Amino acid sequence: MRVEIEEFLYREARLLDERRFEEWMNLFAEDGYYWVPAAPDQKDPYDGVSIFFDDRKIMKTRLERLDHPRIHSQTPASRTMHAVSNIEIDPEFGAENEILVRSGLTMMEFRLDKQTVYGGRCRHLLRIAGGGFEIAWKRVDLINCDGVFETLSVPF
Amino acid sequence: MTAYDDRALRDLVRSDRVHRDFYTSPEVFELEMERIFGRAWLIVGHDSQVPNPGDFVTTMLCRHKVIMSRHADGRIHVMFNRCAHRGAQVCTDPKGNAKRFECPYHGWVYETDGRHAGAPYPKRYAAGFLKDGEFDLAKVPRVAIYRGFVFGSLSAEGPGLDEFLGPMKSHIDAMVDRAPDGEVEACAGTFRYRFDANWKIQMENQNDLYHPMFTHASTTARDGTQFRRHGAEDDEAGRVRLLKENEALNEQWEELPIGGHRHGHTFMGMFPMDKGQSGPVYERYRAAMEARYGDRAADAMAVKHHNSIFYPQWSIQYLTQHIRVMNPVSVDCTENVIIPLRLKGAPEEMWRAALRSNNNSHSPSGMVMSDDMEVWVRCQRGLASPGREWVVFARGMNEERIDNAGSFEGRGTSEANARHQHAAWLNYMCGAA
Repeated sequence: MRVEIEEFLYREARLLDERRFEEWMNLFAEDGYYWVPAAPDQKDPYDGVSIFFDDRKIMKTRLERLDHPRIHSQTPASRTMHAVSNIEIDPEFGAENEILVRSGLTMMEFRLDKQTVYGGRCRHLLRIAGGGFEIAWKRVDLINCDGVFETLSVPF
Repeated sequence: MTAYDDRALRDLVRSDRVHRDFYTSPEVFELEMERIFGRAWLIVGHDSQVPNPGDFVTTMLCRHKVIMSRHADGRIHVMFNRCAHRGAQVCTDPKGNAKRFECPYHGWVYETDGRHAGAPYPKRYAAGFLKDGEFDLAKVPRVAIYRGFVFGSLSAEGPGLDEFLGPMKSHIDAMVDRAPDGEVEACAGTFRYRFDANWKIQMENQNDLYHPMFTHASTTARDGTQFRRHGAEDDEAGRVRLLKENEALNEQWEELPIGGHRHGHTFMGMFPMDKGQSGPVYERYRAAMEARYGDRAADAMAVKHHNSIFYPQWSIQYLTQHIRVMNPVSVDCTENVIIPLRLKGAPEEMWRAALRSNNNSHSPSGMVMSDDMEVWVRCQRGLASPGREWVVFARGMNEERIDNAGSFEGRGTSEANARHQHAAWLNYMCGAA
């Protein structure tokens, strides 16, 4: 199981780096969501604002925009490298067919002569479905979540 | 390097254009800090950020680190975050509740109203040296509050807040009156971001109706509508039609009223292509508003403007329910704070929709904000090059109607709002502001 989970996370990271955003979105369950809080220890996405809080509907809008020919903030497109590490598996959390996976994330981004490094901790709630996994939710707690940002476009 | 006397400053601004040095000269920027940001009323925050005695936030007022706190007596204080002894910041938490502020260097302490509350080992100072009032945290010279919005002025003299806001008070009312309880609340945290462009580029952009269909083309679906910007229900509200189908330009942009008032404040009307809200949540909101406002409810509920800019430093965005504080850092760098506002007494579903709308459009990943920031940075980079010295604001020239009180009315994609800001800039920089 651990190997399958690791491979799932590595593949997810690669889909983002290869800008295969629709395939990335399809890793999420129909009721799945992607959440990057704007404050440390935020308990609920409705406690305050979030850097990303996307259900499938807004995810689709956002990701289709990344392929729009006139998305100026991604012209040229960012090159990214999502590195996944520190994987810990907690099958006790959630429902019977769900597994909580904790991991570390480093994302390096290069665009217009500038390289930026983001780091944080991820939690994926994976649901066993159809012989594989789907993401019930993914939460990324950036270490600089309440800091000063420049433009973000590519999901973590 | 030009020495910027009044004449050189006046030469930077013509009726339909400004010189590129207006955006790129560090010397001009320093004069702006003194003559515009040093005189105008600037927004510090909202009193709901510090609801209880001892509550504080640390923030920036222009380029200065300040503390906004609520003292035991309930009053709001805005102080420079600098120990009266050797100058260290006395507080680095973004927010919290404090009995006192204690300097980390030698332990000098201050009450939450800034009063000096003692220095350790006081006997080594001459008798009477540490007398009351001599070593308080320095106050921002003037502080005033209008409907919960806390303002500070770095100048001890000049027009009062009432005169500074003038008719723009109704633009604050237009936001606050939409709350059934008649109050808004800054209870959702903030977004902060930074971009490498002069502060005035953002100022000119926010009321610019000539840019959305180009800068924000990527936010539209094939039918030309944008993702939902407000509204709690699955109706058409908040899905602004930026473009017609097949990316054709939408003539409705030209119908929007724009305008401004003295001191450089500008605004624009609500997008006519935004459909009104409907549905059961909205009906609950309407009932709450009618209970409070009676016959005035329809007027109080109306979203009257898209955004309103309080020159030189902040704006209200009505659609997504936030204020944007814009602090200049240097001639080519600006830092924003987005503070979402909850309409107290409105249905929870509306607040949740507003939060999500803020996430989607104005977070650092915001689909609207990111393309705006990209074009501002590109302007700053482009303006660094010589070869063409002027930046053109001639669109809709002389169409606006100007009155004797310093207000004007215009329409649509005219660049009159930027021209109005430029006139205020000259007045601050060269006149008796």
